[in-house]
Amino acid sequence: MSDCRRYEELIERYLDGTIADSQLAELEAHTQGCEPCRLEFERCVLLGETIRESFAPGLAAERAGASVLAELAAQPQQRRGGPWLLWGRVAAAACVLLAIGCLAGFVLGRGGAAKESQRPPLTQVPVQVAELHGTVLVRHQGCDVWQALETGSDVCLGDTFHSTAKSGFVLQLAKDSTIEVDQNSMLALKSYNGQTQFFLAHGECTANLESPHGPFFISTPHGRVEALGTEFTVTVE
Amino acid sequence: MSNEGRQAESSDERLVRAALAGDLAAFGTLVERYWNMAFALALSRTSDPQGAEDIAQESFLKAYSQLHSLRDPSRFAGWVGRIAVQQCTDAARKHRRRRAALGARARPAGERDATPVYSSNPGLTETQMQFVRKTVGRLPEKFRNLVIMRFMGGLSAVQIAQQLGQRPGTVRVRLHRAYKILRKDLAPLLEEVES
Repeated sequence: MSDCRRYEELIERYLDGTIADSQLAELEAHTQGCEPCRLEFERCVLLGETIRESFAPGLAAERAGASVLAELAAQPQQRRGGPWLLWGRVAAAACVLLAIGCLAGFVLGRGGAAKESQRPPLTQVPVQVAELHGTVLVRHQGCDVWQALETGSDVCLGDTFHSTAKSGFVLQLAKDSTIEVDQNSMLALKSYNGQTQFFLAHGECTANLESPHGPFFISTPHGRVEALGTEFTVTVE
Repeated sequence: MSNEGRQAESSDERLVRAALAGDLAAFGTLVERYWNMAFALALSRTSDPQGAEDIAQESFLKAYSQLHSLRDPSRFAGWVGRIAVQQCTDAARKHRRRRAALGARARPAGERDATPVYSSNPGLTETQMQFVRKTVGRLPEKFRNLVIMRFMGGLSAVQIAQQLGQRPGTVRVRLHRAYKILRKDLAPLLEEVES
């Protein structure tokens, strides 16, 4: 019985998360032959698992991280606060330099032309944002900045869309076909063999296609889905 | 375990400093690391999974906007946990005001039970999970937060003590009191699950 007191202490350490690997191995070896300690240890393990399961969020941590980042990217820098305050002086100096640059550019009649020419050309596709609710972000090809998407916006090849929690949007394709994108989803328009293709990185989207329709695919990290009917949903966990 | 803990702490510190320098992805890693903990802290107070998700998200947005005010970057977990608890208090206050303004009555308990299942693990039924949440939610606040930081934040008693600026012995004693209460109150459920 006096031996078991040591293992009771190890079980407490297990619960505290301070048990060493060697101690855990020792405890497990002991519980093989000691019924009271085995029951006690199993009950403690079960307690932890029960709490973890009961409080597990519906939104996976990775998705939550992406969602928070998307919200932050959509906010103006001043509202974000953290880095703004730390780099306040640097930002202020940059603003002064920018103002001087803009003034010089204006005077010389070359305002921003050089910067525009550095961006890769955007190829507009016959797709439009028909509906939108909540916060949906778009990032154009060759651009690091996420911008808030608006209803009626034109869509370009290489655009990536991110719908945050409780948000969604509908893309109107040519010839009365639509793609509805659910919350917490990421959809990109890519060129594949000269054709515009949709790539669903994560989340869920439903395609409603007119009948008859030509070949239509939605690519995912796990493979390509071909539309055989007029309505189908693709989910990427 | 303790080595991993030390690495995690220094990593938190590095991530906070990177986020302050403008690295948004570093902050995303911190969100991923402590999302479960912030969500659980909120859920233990709201009993509404969707509301808890909103509160957790707002907590991280607020944490980012106030990151410069975090004096010890290695204590990010404890700090963001306090923000989540504060967000819950604010949300409850707003809810009470709105109800008072509308003259509305509280939602019947049965309505809350209709919330969707928020666990991918099929081991427990929704009713059992609600029972666990209520039992944890009934713990005194100083016990409840420690239990959530331990199991949902994956922090050891020593790490929790460091995060909260308390003595490890105090945290250990409180955790064990909490375990004792939980084991007593959850005994019927644990027996049911075991059998």
